[in-house]
Amino acid sequence: MLLALILIPFLAAIGILGGLPARLTAVIASLANILVATYALACPACCDGFSLQVLADPKINLSLGITGISAIMLILSVIVTLAAVYSGKCPEGREKLWFSSTLFIAAGAIGAFLSTDVFFFYAFHELALIPTFLMIGILGRGDRKEAAWKITIYLAFGSIILLAGLLMATMHTGSFAFSDLAAIPASEQNTVALLLIIGFGTLVSLFPLHSWAAPAYASAPTPVAMLHAGVMKKFGLYGLLVIGMKVAPEGMLYWLPWICVLLLGNIIWVGLVTINQKRLDLMLGNSSVMHMGYIFLAIAALAANPANSIAEPAAILLMFAHGISIALLFSLTSLVEQKAGTLEISQLGGLAKKAPALAFLFGLAGMASIGLPGLANFAGEVMVFFAGFADWTPGESMGWVQITTIIALWGVVISAVYMLRAFRNTFQGPLVKATENAADIHYCEKIPAYILAATLLVVGIYPKIILQFLSL
Amino acid sequence: MNPWLLLIIPIASAVIIQLGLKRNATASALLSTLSVASTFLISYLLLGKELSAAPIEWINIAGLQLDIGLQLDSLSKGMMIVVTAIGMLVHVFSLGYMKDDEAKARYFGCLSLFMFSMTGIVLASNFVMMFIFWELVGLSSYLLIGHWYHKNSAADAAKKAFLTNRIGDFGFMIGILMLWGIMGTVVFADMDGSKLSLLCTCLTGTVVLLIFCGAVGKSAQLPLHVWLPDAMEGPTPVSALIHAATMVAAGVYMMARLFLSLGITPDTAELIGSAPQVIAWVGAITSLLAALMATQQNDIKKILAYSTLSQLGYMVMAVGLVDANAGMFHLYTHAWFKALLFLGSGAVIYACHHEQDIWKMGGLFGKMKITAITFIIGTMALTAVPGTSGFFSKEGILHAAHENNQALFYIAVIVAALTTFYMFRLIFVAFFGKAKNEHAEHAKEVAPVMWIPLALLAIMAFASPFLGKLIPATEGYHPHLGFEINVVTIASLLAFAVGFIAALILYKGKTSDPVNIPLFRNKFYFDELYAWIIKIFQDALAAIVHFFDAFIINAMIIGGLSRSAVGIGNIFRRYAQSGSISGYAFLMAVGALLVIFFTVFASK
Amino acid sequence: MPTPSINEYLIISGLLFAIGLGGVIIRRNIIVIFMCLELMLAAASLTLVAFSRFNVTDKGLPDYDGQMLVFFIITVAAAEVAVGLAIIVSLYRARQSIHTDELTSLRG
Repeated sequence: MLLALILIPFLAAIGILGGLPARLTAVIASLANILVATYALACPACCDGFSLQVLADPKINLSLGITGISAIMLILSVIVTLAAVYSGKCPEGREKLWFSSTLFIAAGAIGAFLSTDVFFFYAFHELALIPTFLMIGILGRGDRKEAAWKITIYLAFGSIILLAGLLMATMHTGSFAFSDLAAIPASEQNTVALLLIIGFGTLVSLFPLHSWAAPAYASAPTPVAMLHAGVMKKFGLYGLLVIGMKVAPEGMLYWLPWICVLLLGNIIWVGLVTINQKRLDLMLGNSSVMHMGYIFLAIAALAANPANSIAEPAAILLMFAHGISIALLFSLTSLVEQKAGTLEISQLGGLAKKAPALAFLFGLAGMASIGLPGLANFAGEVMVFFAGFADWTPGESMGWVQITTIIALWGVVISAVYMLRAFRNTFQGPLVKATENAADIHYCEKIPAYILAATLLVVGIYPKIILQFLSL
Repeated sequence: MNPWLLLIIPIASAVIIQLGLKRNATASALLSTLSVASTFLISYLLLGKELSAAPIEWINIAGLQLDIGLQLDSLSKGMMIVVTAIGMLVHVFSLGYMKDDEAKARYFGCLSLFMFSMTGIVLASNFVMMFIFWELVGLSSYLLIGHWYHKNSAADAAKKAFLTNRIGDFGFMIGILMLWGIMGTVVFADMDGSKLSLLCTCLTGTVVLLIFCGAVGKSAQLPLHVWLPDAMEGPTPVSALIHAATMVAAGVYMMARLFLSLGITPDTAELIGSAPQVIAWVGAITSLLAALMATQQNDIKKILAYSTLSQLGYMVMAVGLVDANAGMFHLYTHAWFKALLFLGSGAVIYACHHEQDIWKMGGLFGKMKITAITFIIGTMALTAVPGTSGFFSKEGILHAAHENNQALFYIAVIVAALTTFYMFRLIFVAFFGKAKNEHAEHAKEVAPVMWIPLALLAIMAFASPFLGKLIPATEGYHPHLGFEINVVTIASLLAFAVGFIAALILYKGKTSDPVNIPLFRNKFYFDELYAWIIKIFQDALAAIVHFFDAFIINAMIIGGLSRSAVGIGNIFRRYAQSGSISGYAFLMAVGALLVIFFTVFASK
Repeated sequence: MPTPSINEYLIISGLLFAIGLGGVIIRRNIIVIFMCLELMLAAASLTLVAFSRFNVTDKGLPDYDGQMLVFFIITVAAAEVAVGLAIIVSLYRARQSIHTDELTSLRG
């Protein structure tokens, strides 16, 4: 059953390359995936984990299973995949590449999150990166060569360091299975933790290894931007939570001050960079980098005290919420470009008059991303902040995590500044040349937006719907 | 009667309007008005009843439980009456005022959303829930200020309001987190004030002041007051409901709630160090500066906006004097007469074809009798003419100041004189004298749907203090409603007399402003100062950081590493990858020989 | 006449292999390179046969595994010649040349 979740998009992608009608197959495959995922989550007992031995020594199994975190990441992946298939504007005649790559990325991402084996966890992620590079390089917009080159170099660099860290982490038991991961000897923890932080950190665009993200998302075809920023980027955070905290808790504690400083780099530094962006897509790309800082904050809280029971659910809920909201924003940005013909913020204005539905959805997504209550991101952010203060003893001086939390809260103001500025200059004010003849979005274009917006609302109002899976 | 209906009805109305009724503006307006009328009925029925509602779990994980619950005590139930009653009148008024607006459905949908959020703040049973609805009223205020979003000024004002509030919420959230750290809970009812005594007052005072930051933002106190005058870009009924009567008072309500749940009374105030003094001074300074600014404004709504700021300063001062009941009492009376004044100004603006400059009005008293009379009643209440509601509530605050802090008392009296001065300036210029432009010349009385709310509010400007049990204050509080001669009363009457006579001499029958004080007219240059700060500390900093990010981190450090990798790759490409097949074959042979050498010969 | 020992076979095949390798590296004509490749294959085959002949099993018979492998090599080499020559022909058609100096499109 779990294998089907990977095979459906994978085979559908191959089928599209082999000549099946591209859009239809992709839609059917992603719908089928949602059904299978629903079934698997509704009745975890009916689908046993899957395991196939590949090597006996070191022990490498192609094994799949659903744990609490991966269940939530699975939901995120299938929802964003469905929306991604509907989003963006495929260039004439390139449907095969467009839709098959999208499905390949989805298959890789789902595979990575379902794997319960370090080797395949890593391998599936790499598998998903290849179509990402290709799509950016071939079908991207703007300065796509430069963007593709940058993301490839950065992510390859991160992956290599990550691989070294993972090998060191698994060397001692000789087993790659998640269930065999255990704290490694103290003498190696610092090194392994450092390798994992740099490796996973690069994949998550941790400051200062972040500058690949914004140009890549700005250039990437919309479904790729949605899937990468929304789903794939969570891989590194997932890895730190599932592997990093398990094999090197003391190492993570050792590097805690650095994690704190770097995550503030994400929130404050990149936040300021975001304020200065002149294009909508670059702004969103940077904002997604910035929001990674909050999830790192939860990880820092966990590193400071592995017994912090709020930090992990907080990180996961925020990962989910951010994935949905950024995917929605990228999807809508592409619609803005289609309707107005430009994404230069200075050339836009008054779009709400011509496209009220688009303005409503964009406003909702923007408000979600700046943490408005009632939408999913707020629930995640507020939990992260509470996680930051969970270990504070009143009367004693504050620790790294508390001080970081306080500074990080200023990011809430920063994100409101850039998001409202962008919204005001794009949708409000008088009409300008670009928006004079813009049309509103039609039903077909609303589908992905409504799927994602509804998810944001439901999870924001009732976060337990997602958090309940943590007990799986 | 299920108290949850208070939350469910308005949000249902908002959702139905957004999803279904958008095309039918009249139906939307009626639905929204009906919803607020029914919530008013429910909150009236809830009065005097002992009710409790089981909280709904929102987040519940090990170590953190956050609920959506209802706190039904006399404070919240009384406040609900204010919110829903004024909300209802404003809805009715809006039926007339917004009759021809092209986005009427959106307007009423947002009003319903606002009613939902405000109800949430009032009934919140814990700080996180209060924060949630705190932000949501911020959203509805943002949407309503930006109702005419195609105007640049409205769009900018909406953005400014939201961002300024966010700055306050930054402190508010830190305060909530620290309070949670101290108390182990965010639920009002479970807080244990005695835990404060174990801690340094520097810490407890900081926590209270951080939470007060939220109130500074929402109640527009110095230094975050700049958004409220700009918020007048929204439709006038919105200004009456949100930016005068209810939402801006939420800060005062929240502080009263905080003091109540921490058990802070004048006897225990030393537990939070000097925080109350800071709060009182912030309120007093805001009140003084706002009153000074109001004396030189020409826009009728701006005058009222600065007056609101000034009155909010009074309330905050009362809170800081650890007399939250006096603050809440003033909040309560102020809500009615300030809503009256705003709706009255709305009627004037409507009659004068959206002319807001008082120097272009004049002579309206003869043409709009009902509006003018109710407006004057509102003014009397605001300027604390004995017998009106404002007299009693202002008296309470002056008393508190007189007993605790003479300096604050003098400031409060000066503010009272200034209030009388600028309000009667407004009345003399706008309602008396000669009509100064065509629109004012041909102004007509507004429709009943608009003047009936005015009349009802005018009655409340007198009657409100006597409807004793409605007053949103703690159990067992009875405001002083008598008239006796003492220092405070004399000072108050003297202040009225001075202000009234000054306004009479300076403004009776004038066609242009005889006084010109640029400092007040330009609002002490706060906007310019903030624009400069934002330019330097945000935009310029952002540009510098962006430059560093692009050129130092991206291009030099990280980019340098990757470029050196590319460089080394290029060396290999040039020399090893010559393209000549025999070269490749040679390298392969050398490689094979090396492998053989190392495996066979060198391994021994 | 004394039967040659395994050393002579190995020396011969080593020489053969070296000649082939030298040819592949030095010569420019792709046909000649191809012939040299075959020479190297032949050298490998010769080694295999020699080892097979001198590795006598318990039953007194040579170990036929090596000779089996040689048959494989011969057949694969035949197939390879067919494919390789076809490639060379089409290469000549495309480039009008079979000199490796002029075939440098692999340059990085």
